[in-house]
Amino acid sequence: MTTSTSPIPPTPGHVVRTRWLLGIAVVAMLALAVLALVTMNLPAWSRVQSGLERNLVPLLRGFVNPAWHVFELASTSMLETMFMAVIGTTIGGILAFPLSFLAAGNLLGGSRLALPGKGLLVGVRTFPEILLAIIFVAAAGPGPTAGIMAMGIHSVGFLGKIFSDVIEGIDAGPNEAIRAAGGNALHVFMFSVVPQVLPEFASNLLYRFEINLRAAAVLGLVGAGGIGLPLIQRLQFRRWDEVSMFLLVIVTFIIVVDTLSSSVRRRLV
Amino acid sequence: MAPPDPAAVPRGGSFASRLLNWSTWAVLAGLFVVSLRQTGFDVEALTSGTQDFVRFFGRLVPDWTALPQIWRPLLETLQIAYLATLMGTLLGLPLIFLASYNTTINGPIMWLARSVLTVLRSIPDLLYAAILAPILAPGPLPGVVALTVFTMAVLAKLASETVESIDPGPLEALRAVGAGRNRVIVYGVLPQIAATMTSFVLYIFEINVRASVVIGYVGAGGVGFLLLRYLNFFDWGGVAALIVVIFAVVLLIDLLSVWARSRLI
Repeated sequence: MTTSTSPIPPTPGHVVRTRWLLGIAVVAMLALAVLALVTMNLPAWSRVQSGLERNLVPLLRGFVNPAWHVFELASTSMLETMFMAVIGTTIGGILAFPLSFLAAGNLLGGSRLALPGKGLLVGVRTFPEILLAIIFVAAAGPGPTAGIMAMGIHSVGFLGKIFSDVIEGIDAGPNEAIRAAGGNALHVFMFSVVPQVLPEFASNLLYRFEINLRAAAVLGLVGAGGIGLPLIQRLQFRRWDEVSMFLLVIVTFIIVVDTLSSSVRRRLV
Repeated sequence: MAPPDPAAVPRGGSFASRLLNWSTWAVLAGLFVVSLRQTGFDVEALTSGTQDFVRFFGRLVPDWTALPQIWRPLLETLQIAYLATLMGTLLGLPLIFLASYNTTINGPIMWLARSVLTVLRSIPDLLYAAILAPILAPGPLPGVVALTVFTMAVLAKLASETVESIDPGPLEALRAVGAGRNRVIVYGVLPQIAATMTSFVLYIFEINVRASVVIGYVGAGGVGFLLLRYLNFFDWGGVAALIVVIFAVVLLIDLLSVWARSRLI
């Protein structure tokens, strides 16, 4: 026996190369993070420490012993918040429905024809909805209407994209069958496209509703209605026990709605 | 061609699923009507207010002399989003594996990890920022912490679903040769989820950029503070310039991220 080398074969070249690239990427990312931390305007530690003592401790104490006298206010505001999310989601869905067909290449007869529709949806989606809400509050005054409009418009961008993806994924067989039996474009739409996309549309509407409920809970922070307004007032006056009660109501409500909504979604599709 | 088997032809789902489908739509329609009444959402006021609205947007002519003021807060916004995504990913990593049934330590710990994640995820990012701003002193620090917590919760949820759907073969092979949990995760799980996870991190970075643009409005650093100031001083030129810059930056980052994600998977 003359061959007495290690039983493990040498690491292949491309793996070594990938490891080096990965290492360089990690070092670069950490260096960028350190650079950001150094140039950022961070407060002195003593300032943070006193803030934690004066504010975090009362907030945490509030979770153990929440201010029940604001429970009713918190729950009715949260209910109003949910109603805002319902309207915002519905408006978004109604506007997204026709738009999604203009952004679906398979029904327009060519993916290039869908580009204007897709571009429009990307443009709408780009604006953060809170930014839209801030602008609408400045334009039309504070209140739930500004928040609902912001939610509705942002939802159009999101739902339009998902809806058009759903439409592009449908089975073309039924369309052809209806055309072969003498049906026109309207028949194809009514009896093939709509039945195929409807369950997916409903599921995604519910999903968007879950997102919008979270969004609606913070719209009030910028004056656009819902539970955020009474909450930010209590934050400004450092009423931490009442803030804790609001947080408990928001978290419980959102978890319950999420659970219900996702169990319906699982059965729909 | 053989005629299709009649039993294989789809018939629009079972009666129960159709009933569920239609009752969902009915419930949604009912909720919509109740909501319109309860919130006082006024369509008439909306149409009569259109003139004010148009006049308002007519005033939004960008004043580009505001640009030198914008760059620094804009950089801070991007730094907040970057730091939060990076730290949230690192802190979220152990949580991913604790919350997945095939890599967790035991049942109660998995349940605990999942519950914590559910609660953390139910609080919107802007709300974290609004609560942390008075606690941690206004500035970029509460913004970074708020988005870090948010990143951690969302990433751990998304990624643990991926971990639970991976191929168990490599994991079994590693266990068979005596690897412990950490080695199984490093050599069996991570290679399988790396591409999907990178894609999730990029997606969350997009969300964080959008959030970091507005958290300044509640005192958590970045360009949102500038927006608040311009609005308070009725500096419409500044507001318009800021909106254009934010739109361009968010769109650019989105397009880059979507392109990178499409290359990954």
